[in-house]
Amino acid sequence: MPKIKKARIAVKIDMTPMVDVAFLLLTFFMLTTQFRPPEEVQIVLPTSHSAYKLPESDVMTITISKDNRLFLGVDNQYVRSKIFGPENRLRPEVEIEIKQLGNLMMQARMANSKLRTVVKGDRDAEYGIVEDVMDILQKALITKFNLVTDLARD
Amino acid sequence: MASVDTAAPRGHDKKKKKRRKMRRLGVRIDMTPMVDVAFLLLTFFIYTTTMSRPQTMEINMPPRDVSVPVAETNLLTLRVKEDGSIYWNMGFEKPEKIEFKGLRAFLAEKIGQNPKLITLLKIDRKGKYTMMVDIMDEFTLAGISRFSIAHMEDTDKKILEKVSS
Repeated sequence: MPKIKKARIAVKIDMTPMVDVAFLLLTFFMLTTQFRPPEEVQIVLPTSHSAYKLPESDVMTITISKDNRLFLGVDNQYVRSKIFGPENRLRPEVEIEIKQLGNLMMQARMANSKLRTVVKGDRDAEYGIVEDVMDILQKALITKFNLVTDLARD
Repeated sequence: MASVDTAAPRGHDKKKKKRRKMRRLGVRIDMTPMVDVAFLLLTFFIYTTTMSRPQTMEINMPPRDVSVPVAETNLLTLRVKEDGSIYWNMGFEKPEKIEFKGLRAFLAEKIGQNPKLITLLKIDRKGKYTMMVDIMDEFTLAGISRFSIAHMEDTDKKILEKVSS
């Protein structure tokens, strides 16, 4: 008796679950991703071993650039239009003079009392400017603030 | 591969029906390009998303008009010159130079000897901001959580000049 040949079964893989998961992940990443807001100047951060994370919202950033210019930024459009005028509403940071800093911070804190102050200085910025900024902060009774740093790798 | 069958051809139950129906064509949509694009976007978003927020150092400063008298023997002053060289002294002693590399061990030793030690940091206005962050980082790593930052006055500069010359 001749052997009966078994018919070869066509292998069909149902891809539906994989595609479902792929789309789920895709939507998740699309919704959670945040593009870094454009910066007025590039800041090279100093490094430290501190492990505090920057708070996500209600942040007022004082940026000190390499050439000792000063920028003030608030992460809220409403506050921004209040202190810098509506035309600067969409700019993340606005260049300011050191004389204006105390006054502007006051206005910003009036508009949003939960604001946390963050100083983001370039590693090559002059210490004198940072000292002045800290003096102004102290004068404005902002005794608690954060310095943005990169994580040191050693 | 990935495809959708909306109406499968039903060949065998045709015979039972009395009325001859037009055989419905199975509409097959090839999903492959869509899935390809989806995966492309997925990889893009996975790569561009940044989960990590920047690190920060938290600083609590005392209000302005608070002054605490400190015993001379408990006071360690660190002075940083414009070029980044570091000098230390206890109380009113003569400052001595110290390398940044040895700073952490030195500070840890000092605080071990005297837990009441108060550290005062004075940086030249023309110095670099990164010096401040680096030294404050060394403080925390050495276990000194309380320290003061003061202005570098002309008298400090004179003291340093005397030492280095």
